[in-house]
Amino acid sequence: MGIKGLTKLLADNAPKCMKENKFECYFGRKIAIDASMSIYQFLIVVGRSGTEMLTNEAGEVTSHLQGMFSRTIRLLEAGIKPVYVFDGKPPDMKKQELAKRFSKRAEATEDLSEALETATKEEIEKISKRTVKVTKQHNDDCKRLLRLMGVPVVEAPSEAEAQCAALCKAGKVYAVASEDMDSLTFGAPKFLRHLMDPSSKKIPVMEFDVAKILEGLNLTMDQFIDLCILSGCDYCDNIRGIGGQTALKLIRQHGSIENILENINRERYQIADNWPYQEARKLFKEPVVISDEEELNIKWSAPDEEGLIAFLVNENGFNSDRVTKGIEKIKAAKNKSSQGRLESFFKPTTNPSVPIKRKEIKCMLRSFKPAIEHRMFSLQPSNCSRPMGFGKLSLPIYNMGSTLSIFV
Amino acid sequence: MLELRLVQGSLLKKVLDAIKELVNDANFDCSSTGFSLQAMDSSHVALVALLLRSEGFEHYRCDRNISMGMNLNNMAKMLKCAGNDDIITIKADDGGDTVTFMFESPTQDKISDFEMKLMDIDSEHLGIPEAEYHAIVKMPSSEFARICRDLSSIGDTVVISVTKEGVKFSTKGDIGAANIVCRQNTSVDKPEEATVIEMNEPVSLTFALRYMNSFTKATPLSNTVSISLSNELPVVVEYKIAEMGYVRFYLAPKIEEDEEETKPQV
Repeated sequence: MGIKGLTKLLADNAPKCMKENKFECYFGRKIAIDASMSIYQFLIVVGRSGTEMLTNEAGEVTSHLQGMFSRTIRLLEAGIKPVYVFDGKPPDMKKQELAKRFSKRAEATEDLSEALETATKEEIEKISKRTVKVTKQHNDDCKRLLRLMGVPVVEAPSEAEAQCAALCKAGKVYAVASEDMDSLTFGAPKFLRHLMDPSSKKIPVMEFDVAKILEGLNLTMDQFIDLCILSGCDYCDNIRGIGGQTALKLIRQHGSIENILENINRERYQIADNWPYQEARKLFKEPVVISDEEELNIKWSAPDEEGLIAFLVNENGFNSDRVTKGIEKIKAAKNKSSQGRLESFFKPTTNPSVPIKRKEIKCMLRSFKPAIEHRMFSLQPSNCSRPMGFGKLSLPIYNMGSTLSIFV
Repeated sequence: MLELRLVQGSLLKKVLDAIKELVNDANFDCSSTGFSLQAMDSSHVALVALLLRSEGFEHYRCDRNISMGMNLNNMAKMLKCAGNDDIITIKADDGGDTVTFMFESPTQDKISDFEMKLMDIDSEHLGIPEAEYHAIVKMPSSEFARICRDLSSIGDTVVISVTKEGVKFSTKGDIGAANIVCRQNTSVDKPEEATVIEMNEPVSLTFALRYMNSFTKATPLSNTVSISLSNELPVVVEYKIAEMGYVRFYLAPKIEEDEEETKPQV
């Protein structure tokens, strides 16, 4: 999934690009959420014990609905305005990756049938999680639920991450929330991880800033995309033996994949003749997305109470009290989201002051400064705090071995 | 090299008490004109701007513009150790990673030296344009604090409206509603007890009381408070600091839902 080892590469090479924020900080923000990723997480985590999952009377799984309902309410209560973006048709180049995932799932299904006979409960649960697949039915259920809740849904023509990134670039949302790092490769200016994690885990939201990534790595956006392709993406294989660190070194040295291919030691690194890096690059740079305002139709509205009860309680066997309480929460949250943020009135500027504590400057300036350990006993006139003592060499009386000084 | 000597040390203690509830960590900016701070609360709804002009210090030396990142709770802890009549001197060396607070008792028989570690804080600075406000209300600060406290026992938000009649603070909650109207009143013995309302246009804005209550922690700094309101802007609640500067609090208003839809969002 995503770009191999990118998080670590960024942490090592551009630590300033990531920042931890409290979940609550995002109130009033519009955020595009990669729905498929969230549904997948819900299917794995919500209401599972062993191979058993939450189901309705007909035996259909409802974990995704439970997860989507409660997690979306949590967002709304925090004053966040979510837009869920669903995957469309995957690009042809992703088929290989998808086939790989399919065969892994098939393997896991086999493992599971074996494990059911012999393995412990924990192992069974672990293996059965690997068999999870998000189906069209799951997606459609969630879309229906979200629309009833008054939360906008966007159906991406192709990749959801690309659509999310496009929304963010166009300023329609503040940030993109996903766990998939290729949102950054698609150029989402702000990217959030762990936004959809359950509150019980108490993980802070991790915010990535693309501009700071490029500044930290000292690359252009095109070079960053090349770096991601070299590190390994969903669309094509990477070069054997080249990981994130090497890729970064090569890009810094040669500037683009073309130049790297010309200069690289072909005997050491095996490169397929028709390595489709250019097509992959095109998918990242010019993905298929919708930008038409009317087609997107991003609007938050009041929840459809009757519709929600009919869908969740009658069709899917949810506890009616819990659904009613949830609806109350959605309605109450509408009030909360009306709090304005200062940034909508005042624009950021740069602070003209230089931090006194800055590592690079510190070493430089240290050499000019005489080493004075105890300022209290120093003869330096500038350390006399009484202005009358200025320029005089006489010590103020209190400096003479004062026993009342307190050093912290 | 930085050395600021403030004879009325209790001012600094009061300033810290006024802002530490709203902001945890902040950069103090020091230039030849004065000692200042701008910081937002963690949810970016409220902002505090502090200025202590250099003239207000008995001795003021700042060789270049620097900023010092401090944890305000820790700073307040240290300033608590200063007596109310103490003279406070703030000292820092170029390139150092600490700041020193020195407290001298008025009789000069006790000198305390507190050294605090500085922090690297990457904060966002906002540009606040000078604006003409639709209405400015000056009133006794204790009166304002009382109103905020009383209203917050009834509701979460306060609607502040200024009309020809005066300024009205109102709230609604589960148990009922409350309205407090203050009229212009300049016939008082002491000027600081006056309520003065300047109005160009009537305004009405809604704010979260939680923040208003936190602003009133600055009440000990000044006998009067001025509240500046404009329909499209955050409110400014200003406490002047005798002869040397101010603490200003900015608070973003609550916005009607449908208005927000048409507003370009960032």
